[in-house]
Amino acid sequence: MIAIKNIEKVYSGKVVVNIPELTIAAGEAVGLVGNNGAGKTTLFRMILDLIRPSKGEVYAKGLNVAQSEDWKVYTGSHLDEGFLIDYLTAEEYFKFIADLHGLSDGDVSERLLPFMDFFNDEILNQRKYIRDFSKGNQKKIGIAAAALSNPELLILDEPFANLDPSSQIRLKNLLRLLREQKHMTMLISSHDLSHVIEVCERIMILEKGHLVQDMQTNENTLRELETYFTV
Amino acid sequence: MLLTLLSHQWKANYRSSVFQKGLVLNIIMGLLILYFGAIFLVLGFALHKLLAEVVPGQSAVAVVNGALLFYFLIDLFFRFLLQELPVLAVQPYLHLPLHKRNLIHFLLLKSVPSMFNLLFLLIFVPFMIMGVMPEYGTGAALAWLFAILGLTFFNNFLLLYFKRQLSTKPVLTLLFGLVVAGLMLLDYLDVFSLYKVSQAVFAAVLQQPWLAVVPVFLVAGAYLLNYSYLKAHTYPEELTVRRQTVAEGRGIAFLSRFGELGKLIELELKLIWRHKRSKSLVTMSVLFLFYGLIFYRNEKYMDDFAILIFVGIMITGMPIFSYGQFVPSWQSAHFDAILTRRISPYQFYAAKFWIFVPVAVLSYLLTLPYGLFGYKIILINTAALLFNIGINVFLIFFFSVYNTSRLDLSKGSAFNWQGVGASRFIMMVPMILIPMLLYLPFKFMGAPYIGVAAIGLIGLVGFAMQKQLLRWSASWFVKHKYKLATGFRQQ
Repeated sequence: MIAIKNIEKVYSGKVVVNIPELTIAAGEAVGLVGNNGAGKTTLFRMILDLIRPSKGEVYAKGLNVAQSEDWKVYTGSHLDEGFLIDYLTAEEYFKFIADLHGLSDGDVSERLLPFMDFFNDEILNQRKYIRDFSKGNQKKIGIAAAALSNPELLILDEPFANLDPSSQIRLKNLLRLLREQKHMTMLISSHDLSHVIEVCERIMILEKGHLVQDMQTNENTLRELETYFTV
Repeated sequence: MLLTLLSHQWKANYRSSVFQKGLVLNIIMGLLILYFGAIFLVLGFALHKLLAEVVPGQSAVAVVNGALLFYFLIDLFFRFLLQELPVLAVQPYLHLPLHKRNLIHFLLLKSVPSMFNLLFLLIFVPFMIMGVMPEYGTGAALAWLFAILGLTFFNNFLLLYFKRQLSTKPVLTLLFGLVVAGLMLLDYLDVFSLYKVSQAVFAAVLQQPWLAVVPVFLVAGAYLLNYSYLKAHTYPEELTVRRQTVAEGRGIAFLSRFGELGKLIELELKLIWRHKRSKSLVTMSVLFLFYGLIFYRNEKYMDDFAILIFVGIMITGMPIFSYGQFVPSWQSAHFDAILTRRISPYQFYAAKFWIFVPVAVLSYLLTLPYGLFGYKIILINTAALLFNIGINVFLIFFFSVYNTSRLDLSKGSAFNWQGVGASRFIMMVPMILIPMLLYLPFKFMGAPYIGVAAIGLIGLVGFAMQKQLLRWSASWFVKHKYKLATGFRQQ
């Protein structure tokens, strides 16, 4: 699904991401962990062609994301509030995304149905603009919008951050459901080690821009990660 | 798809928080727009008659034609100063399945319905109807208007391209301004006449209307230039005007001698220097120093005291009025920090006071050369300066507690109504009215100079009582701080 070749990003002489080789197979769920400044978001932005890499390429289904725009059709993503059109209402935003993918209003309500618990009656029919929602609710809108088109590839940056405990657990279940039913490839970064392990079968640790560990999740993973991050 | 994007743009505009704040402000703004619109319209309809009186013997159309190229150059200069680049608008769309070319067209077309492009129509359309059509016929007149429209859009797109390339070098903008001024000078000295060139160019359009297609090619060229540049650079970090992010400026050693107050002044200066909105305000203030030229050259105004007092108050006080109207909103982003840290409200206001005083004195000194128009200007401006630093500063502090809207410092200040509340307009009334009321009784007694002296004296008294007045400002602020803090927390 995704192949990264020799990618590097340098900001004023400082290397922030440097990954020689990385492949993510279709249907895989990959969790990306790492401390602040490890380069997680920068890597995501390069995969989404939002940052021009200093060197190297990202290929989605064999096509360079910087040259072809085909990946946009099958990719859903939410990194931060900058991805939302903040002067629309949540409904208008969902409708807009649906139009882009040629979905009917019925499709939208059907696809949002699994999100109703997650939304906790705070998202729809609120008569307010996205910019007026709290950070956590904005995140919910972004995640739902990213998943709305049933994308083959779903990229989320710290989806658990800013959410209350119930919402975190609901989101975890939602993501698993999406994987089981829709077989989405997922790329998720998180600071919450236990949540990310429960969703992803493959965990990568990024440190200072380098991929230092790449492992399959098993019953020892949480302990390994905790050991790794204990300094 | 482009239509959907444009409809989003429309929503972004009429849903912007500026519109939804306060009916009074909207009414005032509406009236201002109507007022200026009406002025332009009337000017447009009367222009041919006006010109016939001012420049008898020449055809009004020829005079306007001669001025047009200058107009476009000056237009370009002001666009450099004031027009914003629409950049970040595309950010929420980049990860969605939209073609980049659509986004770029959107970004470029979005710049078309702006005030810079449409305001001039209010003058040129009436002038075309009243002045050009009777002389040259409808077809030629329309071609003429079409050419002007084309050149306006050409300016629009040319600016978008160059501003993106050059905006890190404000010196170049100044240089461009100097070149325009130089061309005017050359014209005046009869060395090279752009006036004649301009006349010839637009006369040609009127003679041979098909020439109006030339601007179309120019517009298309400028549009394509932008398009190909943006096509290769649709990354948010490249789209946004490249700014130096290196932290500049160290502490100012001289200020550290003043202890806590010095620290606060330094902090405020950094705030001014490191944000776009405050910085563009500084630029505007410098331009405003030339405001006097409008009045002082006119004999009629020079005989009158009231007008000169008004001008004096404005030119010695404009920087502090324009900065002061947003006190303490400048600190809105970190207002809670201000309240919870060890900063006394007294010091907070004293720091502002001691920024305002030197700035007012500086504008006073810079405008001293206006004294060449008559020594009485110096007398009046001295009184105005004293009044500004003794009374008006505290009026600003009094009204400051009503500025409860959060200020976004990252945008330029020109035509930026974000954070503007009705109190800003009301604030100006007493600041102008009180000196007038002080002066008027003396005027009727036939002793205008004493009236001027009274204004200065009151100012001096206020300045001498600064400690008490600052203490009063601080307690006034404390009384209102919860309201302010609540207002600032709302985005």
